[in-house]
Amino acid sequence: MKIVSFALNGKKVSCEVQDRELLLHALRERFSIKSVKEGCGIGECGTCTVLIDNEPHYSCLTLASKVDGHDVKTVEYLGDAGLLHPLQKAFIEAGAVQCGYCTPGMLLSAYSLLMKNENPSDSEIREAISGNLCRCTGYIQIVEAIRDAAGLCKCKP
Amino acid sequence: MLPDFASVSPETKADALAYLASLDDVRVIAGGTDLLVNMKRGELCSNVVDIMNIEELRLLSGDGTDIAIGPAITHAAISAAAMLNDLAGSLSAACGWIGSPQIRNMGTIGGNLANASPAADLIPPLLIHDTVLKIESQEGKREERLDDFIVAPYETSLKPHELLTWVCIKGLPGYREGYRRIARRAAWAISRLSVAWAVREDGDRFVDVKLAIGSCTPMPFRPRNVEKFLGGRKKDDHTIGEAAALVVEEIRRITGDRPSFAYKLPVVKGLVQKALRG
Amino acid sequence: MYIGNEMNRIDALDKVLGRPVYAEDLSAKGALFGCIFRSTRPHAFIRRIDTRAAMASPGIVKVLSCHDIPGENLFGIIKKDQPYLAQDRVRCIGEPVLIVLGETEEAARKALQLIEVEYEDAEVVSDPFLSEDSTALIHDKGNLLSRRKVIKGDIEKGFKEADVIVEHTYSTSWLDHAFMETESGVGYPDSKGRIVVISSTQNIHYKQKEISRLLAVPEEKIKVVQATTGGGFGGKLDVTVEGFIALSVHHTRRPVVMRFTREESFLSNTKRHPLYIEYKTGARKDGIITAVKVGITGDTGPFASYGETVCLRAALHATGPYEVPNVHVDSRMFYTNNPVSGAMRGFGIPQLAFAHESQMDEVALMLKMDPFDIRMMNALKKGSLTATSQVLQNSVGIIETLRKVEPYWRKRSKKEDRAGFGLGCMYYGIGNTGVSNPANACLNITGDGKIALHTGACEIGQGSDTTLVQILQETLGLKIEDIVLVRGDTDTSKDAGSSSASRQTYISGGAVFDAALKMRQYLDEKGFYKGRPIREIYASEADKKLLEHNGFFDPPTTPVDPETSKGSPYATYAFATHMTEVEVEPETGCCTVKRVYAAHDVGRAINLKNVRGQIYGGIAMGVGFALMEEFVPGKSESFDNYYMPTSMDMPDVEVFVVEDREPTGPFGAKGVGEPALIPQAASIVNAIKDATGVRPFELPCHIERLKMLLEKAKG
Ligand SMILES: Cc1cc2nc3c(=O)[nH]c(=O)nc-3n(C[C@H](O)[C@H](O)[C@H](O)COP(=O)(O)OP(=O)(O)OC[C@H]3O[C@@H](n4cnc5c(N)ncnc54)[C@H](O)[C@@H]3O)c2cc1C
Ligand code: FES
Ligand code: FES
Repeated sequence: MKIVSFALNGKKVSCEVQDRELLLHALRERFSIKSVKEGCGIGECGTCTVLIDNEPHYSCLTLASKVDGHDVKTVEYLGDAGLLHPLQKAFIEAGAVQCGYCTPGMLLSAYSLLMKNENPSDSEIREAISGNLCRCTGYIQIVEAIRDAAGLCKCKP
Repeated sequence: MLPDFASVSPETKADALAYLASLDDVRVIAGGTDLLVNMKRGELCSNVVDIMNIEELRLLSGDGTDIAIGPAITHAAISAAAMLNDLAGSLSAACGWIGSPQIRNMGTIGGNLANASPAADLIPPLLIHDTVLKIESQEGKREERLDDFIVAPYETSLKPHELLTWVCIKGLPGYREGYRRIARRAAWAISRLSVAWAVREDGDRFVDVKLAIGSCTPMPFRPRNVEKFLGGRKKDDHTIGEAAALVVEEIRRITGDRPSFAYKLPVVKGLVQKALRG
Repeated sequence: MYIGNEMNRIDALDKVLGRPVYAEDLSAKGALFGCIFRSTRPHAFIRRIDTRAAMASPGIVKVLSCHDIPGENLFGIIKKDQPYLAQDRVRCIGEPVLIVLGETEEAARKALQLIEVEYEDAEVVSDPFLSEDSTALIHDKGNLLSRRKVIKGDIEKGFKEADVIVEHTYSTSWLDHAFMETESGVGYPDSKGRIVVISSTQNIHYKQKEISRLLAVPEEKIKVVQATTGGGFGGKLDVTVEGFIALSVHHTRRPVVMRFTREESFLSNTKRHPLYIEYKTGARKDGIITAVKVGITGDTGPFASYGETVCLRAALHATGPYEVPNVHVDSRMFYTNNPVSGAMRGFGIPQLAFAHESQMDEVALMLKMDPFDIRMMNALKKGSLTATSQVLQNSVGIIETLRKVEPYWRKRSKKEDRAGFGLGCMYYGIGNTGVSNPANACLNITGDGKIALHTGACEIGQGSDTTLVQILQETLGLKIEDIVLVRGDTDTSKDAGSSSASRQTYISGGAVFDAALKMRQYLDEKGFYKGRPIREIYASEADKKLLEHNGFFDPPTTPVDPETSKGSPYATYAFATHMTEVEVEPETGCCTVKRVYAAHDVGRAINLKNVRGQIYGGIAMGVGFALMEEFVPGKSESFDNYYMPTSMDMPDVEVFVVEDREPTGPFGAKGVGEPALIPQAASIVNAIKDATGVRPFELPCHIERLKMLLEKAKG
């Protein structure tokens, strides 16, 4: 077992994890963050995406011990019902959500993009979400949403 | 779910080497994108040494044409490094194609080399940059050319207690470089085959050409006979066609015939021609 | 006011916050984890099973076999021929044999490794063409699951009248639904002694019935609830985890959680049927099609699942959205020891569209006609007779969809040699085929002055919750705040049928509309529309039963003739035309889909945003079907060797919605879920031919296949 301390959605947290424990399972089980999903477990679907130091990573292939001293963000960081992030609003408005299973990961990849690039082109957007599969939407409305949000938000770390 | 193991995360190279020397049944973990997938599929080990907290394994340094890349540098960091864009364009390009954005944030150059997949995207560009690997253990240091480092598919000369500490490449200023990979979808797919090239031309003549082919032979390789053939020759359709045919012959010589060659060989031929034409 | 607009989905807010509860997110105190021990043999008799080591393994509570099933060990949507747990033999790789219940997932999965089974291999049937005459019987009554014919006019005469005849064979492979959420569920015994199962599903009432047969208990003793469901596409219609969970709860009286890994999902979930299609078309010089003869051979694997449906639907739709006077279709579905195939978006029709649209282009080519004109000339219209001799009375929008893309087709120009353009048309019968397939809906007034909508329709991402609420709002003139949606629970709703066959908007929508009309009349009588608040109406109603209004809709169909398929199997059809631009790199065989123009006659778009979303998603699946998706048994284990399109594989898309209202549909609506996918692969294939001169006859036409075709053409 190991103690890991990290920033989770802006708050300092600390917990004991097994050496072999994956960040995905630590978040789901120890922190009850169920928005992080396990669609495949081998880095091939993107539903487990989290931001580590503001860059998207697959939490299914990240040992929990690796985030010690780092910053971890999940979709909960973006906003809540009273105060949606412009990206979340844009996802709703554009119809970018169907079954919703890919949505948290998709939002995080988008958020990371907008942090680095306030005015991305469509091909930059497509590339930024190319590590997140969506079986429902065909991505078009997701790209639209990210484009719409780009003008509206400053995604500061 | 992963099998059980214990992990350590040293902050210095010396500590890492000490762990590697003292722990039983030990593996290095960098990004984990190969190792953890393999472990999920049944590979076992008792100890892992995480090298991602070791600053000195994440350095990039270069003077002119000699560039040293820390093995724990991620693909994303490599493709963003201006120096490598200038002097090793094929490597930057390959790093920009690997997996997906997430994989590029996680996976490392050292992991790609040590995993030694026949389809590894970084190996062809590193081959044309005459890569030499620095390897250390508590017993000492050694150097090895990349050509010799990979001994079989998924097998390298690394011993369990050894650590890859530097990936040293020769920058190629004045070369036209590129990397092209073919896969079944536009992103996030393993290469079915790949070609890396660096070409120096003088008017209508090839001065120096370096080529490497991935995913066709058990290990990516450089068709040195073809490179030699091209050196100094006139850049015309005839030469280019002949060179492409020679590459294909070389692949056949190395591997014999394979069902997949019905597809791969004509494609390699086409890609080599495209690369040479520019 | 409420429909036809761009209303946001009612579940979107929760979903962007990451809040919805999928089955895997549920946890129950003291829950056991269940996992399945599966066959590694395609066809074998089970001689011995040794579970002693597994039972002795730490944390193992129980191992269940077929002998622990109190009721019927067979399930299936039409034919009940699939065992939950293998009886004495296994008939495909991946067939469930045992359930292992452990205190933790790890304990259960570890114990799986300790189970020993001794098999005696039997003869394997792996080719549907050899299945019929094989001595290895997969079921006692033989290996032919189903044979359906469509006979219209005089096929011989039709070909005699033809000036040109085009004849080709087309084949397709297995595909996986690849919903992002794997099969999962939770079950527990409730305080009333019932068994409750909460799962990722497309149909709760069907599952309730199957579980009641499995456990030999009355349906009232079983409650099935739909958790938020991460995609279905047909793959969550059959019983997946539900039966295993219910059986485990029955035996342990403890909560039980089950969740397939992605690998298990690939191994065990039903697949799209691979079809082998022999297609012959005759046409006159002027382009009029005179005859179509089609032979379809399908492989359903060892169990029926939706094999009969696919066999029939493929046959009925084999001629495409064209009026063909002389038709002969012979469609056969065989049992094999291959993976089980079942329902997947379109029930065989995407495969057939690939064939009939390729044929259309080939006929046009022989006649030197424009592929657009020949489609226009033969397209169904009001008064046309379909292949089953059904007279189309209303809402026949195929020509209108063609007109929408016509300007783009006429203007198309190849900026590069390697570019190509292709058309694909389709029609699709909404709802189940020639059988009653009703939906119920119920409305009541609640004490806090709201209208509650109770529906059994399963929201699987397609947007049915929003659509049904919009239909209700429009009919009653109510704001969203005045409505409560109660759905996906067998306790609180009556059967609405499955979320399949693109039927929920049309059929459940029809039921909601029916209930809403009754509610409107009631509210009107009570003065609501003159300003009396609902709360007051509730309070003043002495007989609370009168606050409830039930709705029902069953589309008017007639069964098809068993010999000729004559009949009106569907009350309404959806129509579509896609035009696709591709670019092919001849050196590598890489085909990039650049742009799609997609025109759909949906009757009426209740929610444009949802309609567009369905179309985009269908196009993505069509790109996968055409170019990359292929489930190879034994090889495709997960997403690392089953590729489906990423954002970078997706073309730009322009959508055109045609609204040729369907009089029997709610506000004129039909459906779009499956139609969105059906013509896409076909239009890509035609575009590839336009770009390269070679025509793919086998899907997927991935880079290797395309390159080989190009090489062959070079000679
Ligand atoms: C979804 C997905 C997509 C992928 N796509 C591609 C792709 O397109 N192209 C491609 O080439 N690869 C791809 N890969 C493979 C993998 O991501 C790369 O090979 C990556 O570079 C591995 O780096 P890593 O740091 O993650 O390696 P790890 O998994 O950490 O390690 C891999 C191996 O190298 C050893 N190792 C690592 N560093 C050292 C060191 N410094 N000294 C000694 N031994 C060391 C480890 O012990 C292990 O045996 C993909 C993987 C996944 C999961
Ligand atoms: S769970 Fe699929 S990428 Fe992590
Ligand atoms: S919305 Fe269902 S997977 Fe993306």
